Parts: sequence; structure tokens; C-alpha cells
Amino acid sequence: MYSWIWQHLPGSRAMRVLQTLILVATVVTLLLLVVFPWVEPRLPFNEVTTG
Amino acid sequence: MAHALSPARGSLPPPRRRGDTTRTAIRGVGELLLTAGMVVLLFVCYEAYVTDWSSAAKQREATAQLEDAWRNPRGPVDRPIEGAGIAKMYIPSFGSDFVFTVLEGTGQDTLAVGPGHYQGTALPGQPGNFAVAGHRVGKGSPFNSLDLLSSCDAIVVETVERWFVYRVLPLRQESIDWARGKATQPQCHGVGPLTGRYADVVGKTIVLPAQTEVIAAVPGQPGQPGQRDMALITLTTCHPPFSARQRLIVHGILVAQYEKIAGQRPAELLTVSA
Repeated sequence: MYSWIWQHLPGSRAMRVLQTLILVATVVTLLLLVVFPWVEPRLPFNEVTTG
Repeated sequence: MAHALSPARGSLPPPRRRGDTTRTAIRGVGELLLTAGMVVLLFVCYEAYVTDWSSAAKQREATAQLEDAWRNPRGPVDRPIEGAGIAKMYIPSFGSDFVFTVLEGTGQDTLAVGPGHYQGTALPGQPGNFAVAGHRVGKGSPFNSLDLLSSCDAIVVETVERWFVYRVLPLRQESIDWARGKATQPQCHGVGPLTGRYADVVGKTIVLPAQTEVIAAVPGQPGQPGQRDMALITLTTCHPPFSARQRLIVHGILVAQYEKIAGQRPAELLTVSA
């Protein structure tokens, strides 16, 4: 999967490293700002009340 | 690139051999599993740290609103609005900077701002049980160290007009020898094992999530609150940390209250018991 992505990124090695960093940053941002806030209330870790 | 024999990328795919497909599939699964692990680790960081940042901003805003409401009172309110700040809570044994604005209600959105007051339970200083829930991990983790509270530790609640000083009740194992043990220490003045209807109420317990009776006016005994109830405080959080299996409960009793005087803080906030 990762090697496939790497092979399909255009440009020189430096450009590909840059694109990889941007891709990783995008995924992390999406996870932190969209996915985790959505999924969190559906998980039971944070119930602090009785009842 | 300088090498004459290296083929231009993509122009000449390497010859496929038997087993390549299997190898690719297995590697793909491995990569997915590694990725899933990284995502879970990131989620732990999110829960434990990232939620703190947004909660800190919300808590600051709630505190500013509460202080503004205290400066410009809009007449008496019989029932606080859900999500609005109702009091400030200090726990000096957690450090002189430990202060949180307690909000009305225990919904998830409210608890993301700060500790939340169980609606319908007593208000600070009233007879009955002033019950407050708070996060232990993430979201500012106000009750992160609740398990470290000792008996007689002060929980100071500030409202618009008054300071209320609650102290953690004796722990179960301390109750038997209380008079000769901790009772001699100055911070334990007014604290002792409870009797009668309250005989089962101790400083710290761990209960199951469904045991709502811990926040009853007389903890452990669900029923209508009465004017002759003692003024107690109950703090609830999750237990063990990162889990929802149980709840950690801390009970305290009102030992003192003071009229607020501008610029003055109660002595309980200045001296931290060891």
C-alpha cells in the first residue's frame, strides 16, 4: 500500500518526501479534528457520571 | 539516473513471479495493521492531551462568564441554566492553582468545559448532596487525581455570595480508630465518622456505574431530600482511569462557610494540609 503510493507520487525524491509529509499531516488533521471528535462520544471511556 | 542500465521508472515493470500476489496481500495486511496501531496511539494522545487544549479554552470562557455574572447580578435565579457556570471549586491539596468553574448539568458537552453539577441535587451549601461529576483523563481532567485525596482534605466552593468549605470524610479503614488517629490533626476539625442514616457514607468508595444512590441526598439511600439532611459534597469520576468499568466516588461534609469579602480568601485556601 505505502510502496504503491510512493511509486505513484510524481516528481523527484525530495518532492515525494514533501508530498508524503503533506499527506500524513492531512490524515492526522482529519483524524484529530473530524474523526476522533465524532467517534469519541460513541466510546465508553469517558463516562464519569453514575446512572 | 546516471546508470545506463537502470530503466526509466514505470516503463519496464519487473517480471511477475509466482508468490508476488500473496506477498503483496500479506504486506498489505501488515501495513493496515501497523496503520491501525498508529491511529489508536494517536487517539490516546487525542484523548489525553488534545482534548485538554480545547477544554482549557472553554473553561476560561465559562469562568469569565461566571465572573461577569457575579459582578452584574441579574436578580435571583431559582434554577441554574444547564451549561452555565454555577460555582468555582478549589482543592488546595492539588495545588494553589487548582480551580475549576463548575457548570450546571452532566451532559457530555458540559463536562467537556469543566466539572458538572448533577441537576436536581443540592446547590453548594444547601442541605443535601452537592454532587459533581468530572473527567479523569482528558478534557482538562479536573478529577485526574481524585484517588489521591485524603480524609480531611478541603474542597472549597465559591458561589456569588459565599465560600463553602467541605472536607473529605474519613475513609472506611480510618473510621474505627478515628478519635485516636486523624481526629487530633487540626485540619480534621469538624470531620468524623458519620452515624445513623449516614453510617455507610465514607470518604472514598468505588462503585458500579449504575449505583446512582451515591449522589442521593443521603448517599446510599435514594429518597426525597429533606431540610434536616446534612450538607454533603460528592465528586464522581471514572475508575480505573481510561475505563468506564467503575466510578470513583469522594464524599465530603460541609465544615465551614464564610461571607465573601472583597479581596479576601478563606484560610483553607492559604494553608495546604500535608
